[in-house]
Amino acid sequence: MAGSNEVNLNESKMVVPLNTWVLISNFKLAYNLLRRPDGTFNRHLAEFLDRKVPANAKPVDGVFSFDVVLDRSTGLYIRIYRQAHGEEPQLNIADLEKPVTAEVAPVIVFFHGGSFAHSSANSAIYDALCRRLVGICKAVVVSVNYRRAPENRYPCAYDDGWAALKWVSSRSWLQSKDSKVHIYLAGDSSGGNIVHHVALRAVESDIEVLGNILLNPMFGGLERTDSETRLDGKYFVTTRDRDWYWRAYLPEGEDRDHPACNPFGPKGKSLEGIKFPKSLVVVASLDLTQDWQLAYAKGLEKAGQVDSASWVWLSSLYVDAGLDCWVQRYGSACSST
Amino acid sequence: MSPYDSATSAGSSSGSSSASSSTKPADIDGLLAGAGYKVRSSDLRHVAQRLERLETAMVNSPVELSQLASSDTVLYNPSDIASWVDSLLSEFNHTPSLPSDLPDLPDVVVGPGINPTVINEADATWTDHDAPQQQQQQQQQQNVQSLTIPPNQLTVVTAMEEDSGIRLVHMLMTCADSVQRGDLSLAGSLIEDMQSLLRRVNTTCGIGKVAGYFIDALSRRIFTPQANGLFGGSASGSASAFENELLYHHFYEACPYLKFAHFTANQAILEAFDGHDSVHVIDFNLMHGLQWPALIQALALRPGGPPLLRLTGIGPPSPDGRDSLREIGLRLAELARSVNVRFAFRGVAAQRLEDVKPWMLQVNSKEAVAVNSIMQLHRLLGSDPNRSPPIGIVLGWIRQLNPKIMTVIEHEANHNQPGFMDRFTESLYYYSTMFDSLEACTLQPEKALAEIYIQREICNVVSCEGSARVERHEPLAKWRSRLGQAGFRPLHLGSNAFKQASMLLTLFSAEGYCVEENEGCLTLGWHSRPLISASAWQAVPDANSPLGIVTL
Repeated sequence: MAGSNEVNLNESKMVVPLNTWVLISNFKLAYNLLRRPDGTFNRHLAEFLDRKVPANAKPVDGVFSFDVVLDRSTGLYIRIYRQAHGEEPQLNIADLEKPVTAEVAPVIVFFHGGSFAHSSANSAIYDALCRRLVGICKAVVVSVNYRRAPENRYPCAYDDGWAALKWVSSRSWLQSKDSKVHIYLAGDSSGGNIVHHVALRAVESDIEVLGNILLNPMFGGLERTDSETRLDGKYFVTTRDRDWYWRAYLPEGEDRDHPACNPFGPKGKSLEGIKFPKSLVVVASLDLTQDWQLAYAKGLEKAGQVDSASWVWLSSLYVDAGLDCWVQRYGSACSST
Repeated sequence: MSPYDSATSAGSSSGSSSASSSTKPADIDGLLAGAGYKVRSSDLRHVAQRLERLETAMVNSPVELSQLASSDTVLYNPSDIASWVDSLLSEFNHTPSLPSDLPDLPDVVVGPGINPTVINEADATWTDHDAPQQQQQQQQQQNVQSLTIPPNQLTVVTAMEEDSGIRLVHMLMTCADSVQRGDLSLAGSLIEDMQSLLRRVNTTCGIGKVAGYFIDALSRRIFTPQANGLFGGSASGSASAFENELLYHHFYEACPYLKFAHFTANQAILEAFDGHDSVHVIDFNLMHGLQWPALIQALALRPGGPPLLRLTGIGPPSPDGRDSLREIGLRLAELARSVNVRFAFRGVAAQRLEDVKPWMLQVNSKEAVAVNSIMQLHRLLGSDPNRSPPIGIVLGWIRQLNPKIMTVIEHEANHNQPGFMDRFTESLYYYSTMFDSLEACTLQPEKALAEIYIQREICNVVSCEGSARVERHEPLAKWRSRLGQAGFRPLHLGSNAFKQASMLLTLFSAEGYCVEENEGCLTLGWHSRPLISASAWQAVPDANSPLGIVTL
């Protein structure tokens, strides 16, 4: 409401490089225009403002991409990124799904962020990120264009993630030499949240997920944590907007202790005794929701998921700042499978 | 090479990105470019200050921000952060109850070329990191492809048939390659193999159907090369022109591409004509005049009353002494009369657009002119070894007319590359996507005839050469540069046009079509692959113009 939010830009200006500050501020201001107080979302304006890039089967810096529609009725498509081998300037359509050749060929199913409401698989920022992942991790990356809130609430995003996982695991051309598809789930913000919940579904099926990577994952709860109070509004993000996105995603009438938002909270369920994928949780020290992310990592630990690790990382704000470090760590994690 | 190198990282940047074919001005910030935004490094500080000012204004505004966005605010070209922040700032300045106790805000000035206003430097300013090593990222891919394979169709076919589909594509590529290398005997035998393979594949949809058309086009190129002057764009003979119109009309009905084109162009023309009492639309390809009833009706409803509307329709001469242009003009005149719009029509019969001379259009100096080109400009890129392509001459006289607006609709495709293999592959991707979008159409015979319409384009791209090859589609990025060099500047299509186009699509078309904003232009595509682009232009005033036409 008018005047009630103190505009505190001073801290962020001192810490963040100028171009990053411009980029993130621009997002923040645009996003402010899109959220309506009645909980609806200005989708037309959101799509107008989102910078998108088409898929490109012509390799650029050794990576090419193509889209596959999984479900016409919902518009669910995935964008697949692969390394180009050989010197062909132009890829044969039939080569798009050529079998992978590596002994061990990791496949990363990636869920973009955007707090369940923003962005798409073809958003420029996520397209660029996925391209980088291919080279650094020597992996096939499958970016999922899941349905977004508030038009599509829980569990649509998880349903779409699950559909994509099933599709990936059933592709013979993605199998490593052991005739299995080596799948990792990765995502930032809401994508990180989706990783957890899709992995949960996989556990009850015969699809094996080798690892989860959660980058600044979106979790929350009813309670106000210390980091939320301390960092509210300091680095582009406010608890008020976090609350708005949860209200937009969770079923009507549910609060933030719903297990989708708070998987290890009072309504959550323990993972004890469950063969859950080993997890890498990356937490930014300037993220106001870090206490929830750390609580998630703790929850994994408590349930005996000893292969999990979390990285608390200074000066990382969003996926687009300081990505190198994270990606390189993940790259070595991949190759040590 | 990362677009996201932090300023403090010590990583060195490699040399310029070798894969990028588009050269950007060296001072565009690389981080922002990778995210789809264009901001000069030297402007960063200024933009940051304006963002900060906007934030302050937003926080202190009693008006809910989202109300502002959904009201009459029209936003343009979000890639240009500087200008869109300024346009939002001007919105906030018009908000009546901006508190007067806001500190440190001198009169906000908006627009390029204005010196940034002084800001109270008591607050912290951005730290002076060393300029990060910038890496130019290719933001706009020149050659865009995406193939949507309908998996629900693939899952019902047998394993053998799925293999056959893939084999067909392999063979198509091999055949195209042998054509490029001049090995026509290999190409010919591949055609035969493919035709027999086709018999085992479902050709009523999906990859079988598209492959069938491309095999046909290749076979024409290989077996009847002398016919490439007769088939395709030459439109010689009466049946051809009539057929073309018929096919066009069914293509118009079966899928939304042309409707989007007409709708978007009309909106832009309407805005450009605002305040003018005498207007003149020049349509480069009248066909059945499908675009114009909506504009006539919109002008009729204009606050303050309609202008005098002149329409000049260009089209091929009719056979048998019929004047089909005039017939269409009469029908439009009737409509105009029924809604009280003063209207005059003139038909200009020309076999080719380059045969039209500006005097034929009889533009007078008092009227506001709109030039409307729906998929016509690419036909002027033809390469005749004896002369330069006519595009230069035509753009030249358009510019002389000094139109208030020129609306340009083109295929968003790169079908005019010199290498045959490149063209073949591009068009295979492009038309696969377009055919896929047609699958959703259930209207017959619209769908069947629309497919023939598209098939003719495929044939022209694949089997014709020289002046017979008229379907020389080029992507938006190339048109921007071409039109810029010819003395035109873009008129941006805004968020209102985007929203209306999107809404119309959801109302009238199948799921899967999507409108995207592309630096002031709009594209319509199918499932994340843009297929048609719409843009608007205005002539940059030419000091040398002999007529010195000035429009207000």
